[in-house]
Amino acid sequence: MLEFSILFIIPLITAVLCYFLKSIRLQYIYSLSAGLLHLIFTLLIFIGWYKPNLPFFFSFDSLSNLFLLILSNVYFWVVLVSFSYLKRPVNSKAQDGKKYYFLLLNFYLFANTSAILSNHFGMYWVSAEATTLSIAPLIYYYRNEEALEAMWKYLFLVSVGIAFAFIGILFLTLSANGTPLESHQLFYTEFIKNASKLNPVWLKASFIFIFVGLSTKIGIAPMHYGDVDATSNSPSPIAALMSGSLRITALIGVLRIFQIVRPTTTFEFAKIILIIGGLLSILVAFIFMFKVNNYKRMLAYSSVEHLGIIVLGIGIGGLAFVGAMYHIAYNSLNKLVLFFTAGNIHRVFKTREIKDVSSVLKILPWTGWLFMLSFFAISAIPPFGIFFSELMIFQGILFSDRPWLLAITMFMLLFIFINMGKTIFNMLYGGKENEAITNENESFEVIHFATIVLLILLITIAVISPDILHENILNISKDFGFSL
Amino acid sequence: MQNVLSILFCLSLFYLAVTSRVKAYVSVLQFQGILLTVLIVFPFIKHFSVFALILPATLFIIKVILIPRYINRIIINLDIKRTIDPTIQQFTFLLLIIFSMTLIFTTSNILSNSTDIETIPFASGFSAIVVGIFVIIFRKKLIIHVAGFLVLENGIFLFGTAVVSELPMMIEIGVLLDVFVVVFLMGIALNRISSTLSGFEVTSLDRLKD
Repeated sequence: MLEFSILFIIPLITAVLCYFLKSIRLQYIYSLSAGLLHLIFTLLIFIGWYKPNLPFFFSFDSLSNLFLLILSNVYFWVVLVSFSYLKRPVNSKAQDGKKYYFLLLNFYLFANTSAILSNHFGMYWVSAEATTLSIAPLIYYYRNEEALEAMWKYLFLVSVGIAFAFIGILFLTLSANGTPLESHQLFYTEFIKNASKLNPVWLKASFIFIFVGLSTKIGIAPMHYGDVDATSNSPSPIAALMSGSLRITALIGVLRIFQIVRPTTTFEFAKIILIIGGLLSILVAFIFMFKVNNYKRMLAYSSVEHLGIIVLGIGIGGLAFVGAMYHIAYNSLNKLVLFFTAGNIHRVFKTREIKDVSSVLKILPWTGWLFMLSFFAISAIPPFGIFFSELMIFQGILFSDRPWLLAITMFMLLFIFINMGKTIFNMLYGGKENEAITNENESFEVIHFATIVLLILLITIAVISPDILHENILNISKDFGFSL
Repeated sequence: MQNVLSILFCLSLFYLAVTSRVKAYVSVLQFQGILLTVLIVFPFIKHFSVFALILPATLFIIKVILIPRYINRIIINLDIKRTIDPTIQQFTFLLLIIFSMTLIFTTSNILSNSTDIETIPFASGFSAIVVGIFVIIFRKKLIIHVAGFLVLENGIFLFGTAVVSELPMMIEIGVLLDVFVVVFLMGIALNRISSTLSGFEVTSLDRLKD
């Protein structure tokens, strides 16, 4: 019961509290405490010091352990920087958005925890839809036209997408006709046990519908538009939250059905679908980076690219699968630092247009250097984590039965790196002086602190490679039937 | 009985294809809500229990009372014009729907040979899903898009009754609440869109591009 209270009930109670508390500072303190408690508890479970036991529709396994830790970690840092973010001056309309900020964040934590820990497809669906509902009003924080359009598109596309995923779930029940699972509940574990008895035609249909439906939320091309618009127009902490944790909550749904498909004849088909989805996403990012003009949109497309790499790794299997699991963890940390620093740039320059941003290093030295380091990290420059996970994925692809995929991927990633680098260095160094921006000394804020800690974490985890994490990821790949 | 209700459901879809009034969409949603409620109450008539009434009651309140009223209020508040602004002709739209439905019914019939499914509810549900998507694609007004989304959701519900013996009630109610909150948020967004972007049509959403 303790685990259920801390992971589910406390965020919910904090959400209700935030509704009644007028003071933003108090809301912040309560939310931060709830987030910290969530993080500590999740860590204890991850390390294995606490053996959790959840009621009916929920359960723990290696996959949910890792994903919950990522969610909890991303959430904590986002809440930590949120207060300083909310203090920034905004137009009078946007003042309204502050009132419900922490309420929605807490509800987001509750819904995401529920989606990640659910052991039942129905429960997962309800929770995943609830995460959309909690994040949509947060996208509209700035109360301007772009944010409104982004929120509408996100809400609409993702709701329709999730409805498709529901059709996929119904197909899954059809595939169980005539097996011992018939008229049983939709528990993952039961399906995984009896996977080989499922009807392959319905199973294929189910996989397609669930993957395409959830793609709207994961941001896999060609369903990525709503997600990119939302990420690029929401406030930076929310964008970090979406890129760092919301996308993987949707990804866990795809992983669950992939786990069911694994021992069946549908496996090869599912692999091809995942590989196509992954490559398409990298291709979309590759094309976009040639005509980039908005830096937040660029980061949103970088998310599309990295989720593409992850999905590609999962599709290839074996070592690439292990690399993809590491990549999920590193990418979430990396997206936090990128969006935090981009948010600082946005605050001073008041624009997302790249052409209007220059000399960031001179005007905002802290932010500028951290932004540069974050860019190195996301471009897989050692010793940052992404380097090691990408290496593992590439090695996996090279020794798979489709080594030619590596050449295509590397080619596209190279140009993404060049174009992104060109843009970011123009922003950091570019000679054009902007007179409207005063050249005051940048003070050291909590956002800088968070960014530095996260960058250090990115290096430390990669270099030390803690046994517990490695063991957990190996357990996940064992659950998926991949042996190294 | 299930078949009769499903066929009525299909007829309501044809009506959607030919009507050009915004209000008619709301009435169709209400009608479909009633059909779905009757459909899930029906099996309980023989072994009645109060507990079994919770789900139909929630369904009725949300799909027949709350959502239609809410949409009607938006239509009145925003003073949305009565016609729906189609992007293709009504007749072409009807042909498209008839063609898709024929295809769906034939396919379902073939599928029912190999899998144990109730052909008529299965095909009707799937038709509603497809019609919902067509409505979203071929109509300009955002409020009609919301209606299209709800038709799609109704289709999934019907489809669900044809394939799943039973989902736990808690989850069914969760699904209904989710749908309600989605519509509620879309309504708020529509209000803002009409005041900030001065339009209720999809063409007014053109700011975000690559």
